[in-house]
Amino acid sequence: MMDIVDYKDLIDKCSHCAFCEAVCPVFKEDLLETHVARSRLLIIKESLIDHHLPVTRRVKEIVNRCLLCAQCKNACPAGVPVDDIVIAARYNLYQGKRSPFFKRQIMKHIMAQRGKSDFFRRAGAFATKMGLDMADLPQIKRQSFSDMYQGTYAPKSKRRAKVAYFAGCATNAFYPDTGDAVMKVLSRNGVEITLPEGLVCCGIPALSEGDIETAKEMMKININILSKTDADYIVTDCTSCFMTLKEKSLTIIDGSDAIRQHAETVSLKITDVMSFLNQTGLTDDFPALKETYTYHIPCHARGMADLMTAPVKLLSNVDQARYVILDDDNGCCGAGGMFFTEYKALSGAMRDKKCRAIRQTAATTIVTQCPSCRTYIQAGFGNDKKVTHPMVLLARGYGLYIV
Amino acid sequence: MKNGLARDLKKQIGKDNVKTDSEDLLAYCSDATHQSIKGKPDAIVLPLTPQDISKIVSYASKHQVPVVPRGAGSGLSGSSTPIKGGIVLDIKRMNRIIDINKGNLTAIAEAGVVLARFHKQVEKENLFYPPDPQSMSVCTLGGNVSTRAGGPRGVKYGTTGNYILGLEVVLPDGSIIHTGGSCVKQSVGYDITHLMTGAEGTLGVITKVTTRLLPLPAAKKTIIVKCRTTEQAAIAVSDIIAAGIIPSMLEFLSLGAIALMNTLISPPIVADGEAYLFIEIDGFPVQIEEDAKRIKYVCEDVDVMEIRVVEDKKEAASYWKARSSLYPLVLSFVKKVIVEDVTVPRNRIPEFVKSIEKISASTGIAIGVSGHAGDGNMHPSVLMGDVSEEMEKKAQDAIRQIVACGLELGGSISGEHGIGIHKAEFILQEMGARQIELFKSIKKAIDPEGIMNPGKIWIDGDSV
Repeated sequence: MMDIVDYKDLIDKCSHCAFCEAVCPVFKEDLLETHVARSRLLIIKESLIDHHLPVTRRVKEIVNRCLLCAQCKNACPAGVPVDDIVIAARYNLYQGKRSPFFKRQIMKHIMAQRGKSDFFRRAGAFATKMGLDMADLPQIKRQSFSDMYQGTYAPKSKRRAKVAYFAGCATNAFYPDTGDAVMKVLSRNGVEITLPEGLVCCGIPALSEGDIETAKEMMKININILSKTDADYIVTDCTSCFMTLKEKSLTIIDGSDAIRQHAETVSLKITDVMSFLNQTGLTDDFPALKETYTYHIPCHARGMADLMTAPVKLLSNVDQARYVILDDDNGCCGAGGMFFTEYKALSGAMRDKKCRAIRQTAATTIVTQCPSCRTYIQAGFGNDKKVTHPMVLLARGYGLYIV
Repeated sequence: MKNGLARDLKKQIGKDNVKTDSEDLLAYCSDATHQSIKGKPDAIVLPLTPQDISKIVSYASKHQVPVVPRGAGSGLSGSSTPIKGGIVLDIKRMNRIIDINKGNLTAIAEAGVVLARFHKQVEKENLFYPPDPQSMSVCTLGGNVSTRAGGPRGVKYGTTGNYILGLEVVLPDGSIIHTGGSCVKQSVGYDITHLMTGAEGTLGVITKVTTRLLPLPAAKKTIIVKCRTTEQAAIAVSDIIAAGIIPSMLEFLSLGAIALMNTLISPPIVADGEAYLFIEIDGFPVQIEEDAKRIKYVCEDVDVMEIRVVEDKKEAASYWKARSSLYPLVLSFVKKVIVEDVTVPRNRIPEFVKSIEKISASTGIAIGVSGHAGDGNMHPSVLMGDVSEEMEKKAQDAIRQIVACGLELGGSISGEHGIGIHKAEFILQEMGARQIELFKSIKKAIDPEGIMNPGKIWIDGDSV
């Protein structure tokens, strides 16, 4: 990751064409040009690089009021890496100290424990202190994924591949059902799975804070462990973990870093578990499930066609399951990792649109591979509809018992 | 005075709808005309109703504060930039589609509606609104009307001006008028609707638009033609039109443009010809089969390298998507681009293209020729690898020559971008002094205080 001043040439590539207005979820709500990528870049340049503008509260607000969804980067014909520039700007503004001390400490602890934190177990008070609305949060599970599974698991049918599984924080602590489904489905399809020990958070929450040092620390720990695996692939179940391990690690750990070579090796092996299954094909076939579902595309999946289409392609193998398209111009659900805790009204408006569009369909289940989207959309529906991971739906199609 | 202005505006329409922080003002200084900041606004106002606007312009008239109406800020002539300061009136929050009338083939929408959303809604009803400026994912109907925006479909369907039946406009004195209506025939005195269309916000603020619609064509087909030389491509364009075929899009793309667009096309086009034609034909299936055959014959007659009918819809869509991204793509490779909007009669395209090549050689500056060849709107683009005084001088010299050449061929200085500040110095050449005088008389009659978007269209625009 470069210093913000080194992004000047990339910022200058912005032609001001305004195509980012078509995709920025924040702009679409605010309808104020200050809150869209082309202006964010201009303001970052004027205040943090050229110092023509003082660093005011408003500058900070403009840098903070961004979901880091990267839709602008994907839509930008000039390919300006707006998300990296916003992260670098946050680093420049806060040096990793954007949030209050106690919040940072708790986050660091949670990240090191892959979501399993005693702090969270005694959630109430801390969560409230962190500005979290308990109704918007998932219940931490008594038994985490890492309590359930450790070591290496031989496949239940003829061995076709060996993968290492990187189960992210959310899967580990909040959604062990996703992990359980990944393990069982892979195993039935001839995949040997190893669960490397000592992994920590992928680093995306720290990166979003502009806390590049903590993110780098996390990435280094993971890369050291993952580079030692003899598995053919390293699979992930979460789009943000995927993006961080595949792309962001190479942005953060640059050529001058001793670990760079390892980072590249790991990045090459990182594969989304559903893309992996689509590629290898299901051997234990004929899953069936009477279910009408729709698919919410997480923002971080939209940068890559394969990642974006993988869940629906995989679930097309499930007999009797009916997929209905969500007609909402691929809107963001408003979660944005922890963004919704900071900008409740803004995120709430995005979620309302998402839920309305879902209600327009016949779907009773919504699948999405991002735990943050899953949590936030689920909270928008209460018990009305079920939001789950595509792998859980597939596992149910196999008639597997999932925790 | 500025503090007073902010306070007064907030009193008029509420404090949440007025922005005066320096950061907000900076965001509204420029449009998509490559970051040329020539002036800074004093306030951004975000109205929700014509009545809000009425209050603001009445206030502005009384205090002689400039008012610059603005849609998405995606224009290419600087027409929505506040070069004389004052109030930027951002109409994006006025974005309701009020009526789509299938029985009358018309629609009514507020000026802040984004064109792509309008297209989508209309097409859901199997109807069609053809104007397609390449910024359609963001640009607004109000901006389109104000600049008579067009796009590739202009060749068959014309530009925004051809589809406007009526307008709601807030005049500088605060009155709200309704021009035209929903009838496809209207012959009632002066045509105020089309006076406001293309006026670039210099006569009033457009708040509502009544448009004509067409039935959605049943089918379409994309054809890619690869040509040996630029000249051959230009001849093919003229010959297609002369053969009586009117494609829905007929785009001319240079080798350089294809190389850039290939970054968005998978699999990429094998780029071994000097120029390319992207053609779309639409209509009933029988008709487009026939048109495709005839285009093939015409192109074979001029001995082009390759003619390919793209059968896969996704593949075809990827070509058009890349085409719509061409302008910003070019900008990611050079420091500055000046997109010319000079348009010539279609039968003069071969001569025009040849002249541009000569101008490029004599001035020593790269000029891309890719554009809507089918309607003569070629968009010659002056490409600047670096920005220096010498380069700017060369660029201006090239532009002056392009304009002179276009006018000599019976062309016009703008086909679809409007004049703004970018083309103001050339308007006299096209219109002549008497017509500019007329412009000024009209301006004075409607906007006696000269508050509406001053400094645009003609050089001394504010001295009425």
